[in-house]
Amino acid sequence: MTIYYVQLLTNGIIAGSIYAMFAVGLAMVYGVFKFINFSHGELITWGAYLTLMFSSPLFSLPLYFAVIPALVITVGIGLAQDFFVYRPLRQSNPIAILIASIGLSYLLRNVIRLCWGSDLQTFDLTLSRGLIFWGIYITKTQILMMLSALLFFGILYFLLTKTLLGKSLRAVSDNMELSSIMGINMKKVTCTIWVLASVFAGSGGILLALDTNLDPMMGMNNLIKAFAAVLLGGAGNIWGALIGGLFIGIAENISVAFISPDYKDFIAFGLIFILLLFKPRGIFGIAGGVR
Amino acid sequence: MKKFIFSSISILFLILIGSVMAGEISVGSVTPLTGKLAVYGEGFQQAMLLAVDEINAAGGIKGNTFKIVFEDNNSTSKGSVSAIRKLITIDKLPLIFGPAASSNFLAVCPIAQENKTILLGAESAAAAISKCGSYVFRVFPSDLLQGIGVAELTNFLEYKEVVLTYVNNDWGVGLAEVFKTEFTKAGGKIIDELPHGEGKTDYRSEILRMKSKNPKAIVNLTYIKEGATILKQAYETGLNVQWLMGSASKSPKLVELAGKASEGVIGTYPTFSQETSQYKAFKTAWDKKYPGKKTPIFGEYNYDMVKLTALALQSAASYGSDDIKAALMKVSKGYIGTTGDKSFDENGDVGASYGRWTIKDGNITDYK
Repeated sequence: MTIYYVQLLTNGIIAGSIYAMFAVGLAMVYGVFKFINFSHGELITWGAYLTLMFSSPLFSLPLYFAVIPALVITVGIGLAQDFFVYRPLRQSNPIAILIASIGLSYLLRNVIRLCWGSDLQTFDLTLSRGLIFWGIYITKTQILMMLSALLFFGILYFLLTKTLLGKSLRAVSDNMELSSIMGINMKKVTCTIWVLASVFAGSGGILLALDTNLDPMMGMNNLIKAFAAVLLGGAGNIWGALIGGLFIGIAENISVAFISPDYKDFIAFGLIFILLLFKPRGIFGIAGGVR
Repeated sequence: MKKFIFSSISILFLILIGSVMAGEISVGSVTPLTGKLAVYGEGFQQAMLLAVDEINAAGGIKGNTFKIVFEDNNSTSKGSVSAIRKLITIDKLPLIFGPAASSNFLAVCPIAQENKTILLGAESAAAAISKCGSYVFRVFPSDLLQGIGVAELTNFLEYKEVVLTYVNNDWGVGLAEVFKTEFTKAGGKIIDELPHGEGKTDYRSEILRMKSKNPKAIVNLTYIKEGATILKQAYETGLNVQWLMGSASKSPKLVELAGKASEGVIGTYPTFSQETSQYKAFKTAWDKKYPGKKTPIFGEYNYDMVKLTALALQSAASYGSDDIKAALMKVSKGYIGTTGDKSFDENGDVGASYGRWTIKDGNITDYK
């Protein structure tokens, strides 16, 4: 029976690491630009669909290579979002930028529908039994998901703490105007944020699609969890987003043992509600900024 | 301006006079001709038009030409509501063929009932439709019957204890309730019962809970996407059971998405004999009108619906909806169409016989 709970915990950690990958980009964009990017979910979906496109006939690249052009284009979409929509609106009313991001989300999602249809798609992977470690089942894709999350967060940690670019990124999120007066290259920092947000979202989307299926709503559905993770960790805090994502993944999966599985979202969000009542700024309660 | 108003009124008048003079009897149809169901809608329309041609070739309705006024619903509930409102208030039709997809059908049935307009369905299965009201009928069997069908299948395969899981919406809950009642009545035991969310991507923890009960068989009443994900993740988790499913997951898409994890699934689906003289006549007529075209999904049901309506209109005392309703109940008794017996019960439902399907070597075949 203990194995049962350990297995639930494992499932929770895996699900949580994917939520965290989605959440980190949201947190970064919020930390610096102070708005919630609703079209973040579409970067998840585009990453997955572009990989499908490059691995299907016409390109027929092996899956591992298909990921590279797919991520490059996803980053392109992220940068284009900023260049064409968010940058011109940066000085305007925050509501305008929020609505623009909702509109952009619809646009990007419907382009996917137009190109690939609304029907479910799948990577043609051969199905295999999960590997067993001390009675715990785990599939190769799930291992890949966890390793990727570890690798990505490791690189991010290194970038933010050990490089000048990372330090300027943190400075900008603390005070944008002051940083620009101090001579920090704002363009470079802005680009870095969008590149990181797109790479994290796109890779998370590809991993999720490898594990399950692709459908145009996959980004939107997971964005809710990512929002919750960001809120829980403390808006704008990257490490908070990581902890928040893991917390939600574990809470919802463990709850299945005790209540009807269809209420697992209720448990996760109920816990967040209670936690935010006592710590309204999230676990790592800070006013903002990329830490 | 005056001239314009005058000419508009006269044209309208002429149209009205024209429709009466020509001796036309019309009924309405809310059909998905655009949107995501358009691919099916075209087939429904062709099957209905085939029946209309036959009715008119045989002399029409009491000497009048029979006609269907088609309204597109863009495959949505909102579109269905606008379409039926137009057919009721502007065209003033006493009988309307309802839209495909249970959610669209359920959206329009209160409107039909309220306006005392007869609503007939040919492809909506939700059990809730039985409770729509006295003006609502369907020639397609209710899911209630399917619940019984799955219970019979489980007993036939001699599984005494099963885990039951179903998609958590009106359709899934209703179907599971019927299954539970029938299965436990026959002495079966449900060792665990768990609803699963619609459209999720991760069911692993649900599967673990099912696995922890060590079942030999799991009854999974769900759709294609959810069904495929569950089968796939169960396979990865090393869950070896007999999966029993309904007709909503019977699709080549399930095999495509779940691959070898779908191998050996057994399920039920509403069926009818293709050996009857009625079916053969339909098939010959279809091939003649639409050479080289396959009969569309639910085409036979649409054809039966129109034929039965024409019979009712023939024997109705007047063109009012109450008279047509009474006639419909009467003529349906013992009426055998291409899809079998179409006798309406007090809820406006028909009976059905159920076939069994299985997946073998990646193909959906009949289970014997």
